[in-house]
Amino acid sequence: MRSRNIAQTLPLIAPVHILILSVIVIPSLFVIWLSITKSTYGQAPTFVGLENYFQVLSDPAFRSALWNTVVIVVFAVHIELAVGLLMALLFASGLPFRRFLLVAVLAPYAVSEVIAVVMWRYLFDPDAGPVTLALKGLGLPILDWAYEPSHAMILIGLLTIWLHLPFTFIILYAARLAIPADLYEAARIDGATPLQAFRRVTLPLLGPAIVVALLFRYIFAFRIFSEVWLLTGGGPARSTEVVAVYLYQEAFSYNAFGTAAATAWIMVVASLLLAAGYVLLLRRQVTANAQ
Amino acid sequence: MRNSRLITGAGKAVAVAALLVWSLLPIAFIVMSSLKPGRDIFAVPTVYVFTPTFQHYASLWTRWGQFFDGLLNSTVITAGATALAVVASTCAGYVYSRNSGRFHDASVMFLIVVRLIPPIVVTLPLFPIVNAIGLNDTHVVLMVLYATFFVSLGTVLMRTFIDQIPRELDEAAEIDGAGRFTILRRVIVPLAAPGIIAVAVFVVVFAWNEFLFAFIFTATNAKTAPLVISEMLGSMDGVDWGILFAASTVQLAPVLLFVVLMNRYLVAGLTAGATKG
Repeated sequence: MRSRNIAQTLPLIAPVHILILSVIVIPSLFVIWLSITKSTYGQAPTFVGLENYFQVLSDPAFRSALWNTVVIVVFAVHIELAVGLLMALLFASGLPFRRFLLVAVLAPYAVSEVIAVVMWRYLFDPDAGPVTLALKGLGLPILDWAYEPSHAMILIGLLTIWLHLPFTFIILYAARLAIPADLYEAARIDGATPLQAFRRVTLPLLGPAIVVALLFRYIFAFRIFSEVWLLTGGGPARSTEVVAVYLYQEAFSYNAFGTAAATAWIMVVASLLLAAGYVLLLRRQVTANAQ
Repeated sequence: MRNSRLITGAGKAVAVAALLVWSLLPIAFIVMSSLKPGRDIFAVPTVYVFTPTFQHYASLWTRWGQFFDGLLNSTVITAGATALAVVASTCAGYVYSRNSGRFHDASVMFLIVVRLIPPIVVTLPLFPIVNAIGLNDTHVVLMVLYATFFVSLGTVLMRTFIDQIPRELDEAAEIDGAGRFTILRRVIVPLAAPGIIAVAVFVVVFAWNEFLFAFIFTATNAKTAPLVISEMLGSMDGVDWGILFAASTVQLAPVLLFVVLMNRYLVAGLTAGATKG
């Protein structure tokens, strides 16, 4: 019975595992080998131990890219979370045309990174962008993102938030809808103010959803590539590079596959560390499901 | 009392208006600018009233024929990647839904952990390999890459959806002499259709819009629409914004319509995907 069972189920799970092993797992392991060798095209690789890692970690361009990535992750993801949470509360408080509004808020999910860059480059065009003109009209400072690295970083952050807010919002909104209305009724009868109800009922019960949304977004924001590549190309003078752009440059512009591979594994390890808590949470859930 | 309700109502209205502006205005600007006469696109102050013209669409057609090749490539690649991801995820999701035990739990865990690997990491070894076996700049390589980066989420999603189908139905079919594949085709697939659509929505949106893999693995023959648009954006002899907006509108319209029509499945998929995988 058991061997028949396996013989019947194996063909069904095989496609998924063959794809993942051949496209993700084995290539990623091969990257470890690349990262401890030195090689360029048409040259036999030589073993160099951890040299590539030291070289990357001591490269000022890498450090600046890492710093930029961390800044984007920390700012963009937390702003997304705060706004997404407020939106979830707003939607849960009862809105007319809720379905229409939900679809409108979801719209940026459909937009590719390339189109988003077209949009935001136009909106913030330093000479004639509608947002630039509006800011000028209000006497506010404008974003001189083509020359000022910190302004470019703000624009990249805005773009990232715009693209991913729908995701964060939906996660939090679904979790908020799952909180039974009785709890708010009970809190109200006990004389809780709306603020107290938020702190003592909503926030604790949204906890798991907040953790999930945060970790998903940490991990995905850490990979940011296209937005930066298409908006600034990492410039001026590599000042807005992020880790993924640094990796791309090492591999495909400088043909330095060893240091690119070391960067790749630094990314993997960083993602794994970010996810460690998440994985622990999930494992608990998987075993709970199994019981 | 009445006053405070008015104030709450006004506050909500302002918040909703701000959300609508934030979410829809950038999209509206793209569409609007694609219809503006060239001189109005960067006019100061911004022009809101103008006679719509299709001149940019006409120039797009005559000057950027490769954009339409890109749309065709995007369509073929999206269809292939979606079919592959949906079939593979449904089969695996069925097995994981109906079997538990240490081996299966560990292998689901493995699928989840794999999602943590950033896609750019695998481009390093895959780039020379894909070149060596002559798959560079083909539809197949992008189909396989796009499907692979979604089968783990797809499998976990399908497991969640198939969990809701009573096992008694499988067992009844089994007593009638149906094998695994027949049960999957005749019982599971029809009942798990919402899950299948949710997975398909994810893959379609991702494959239609993806940039990084298309940028690295295609050159001319299999170039996708987003890649052609990025080339317009990076054009050395100045960006023709009218054509760029027209191309952006054409690339965006179908996927936006798709997301609007499929919003229920998308929300269901996002919710199930985040809590379970």
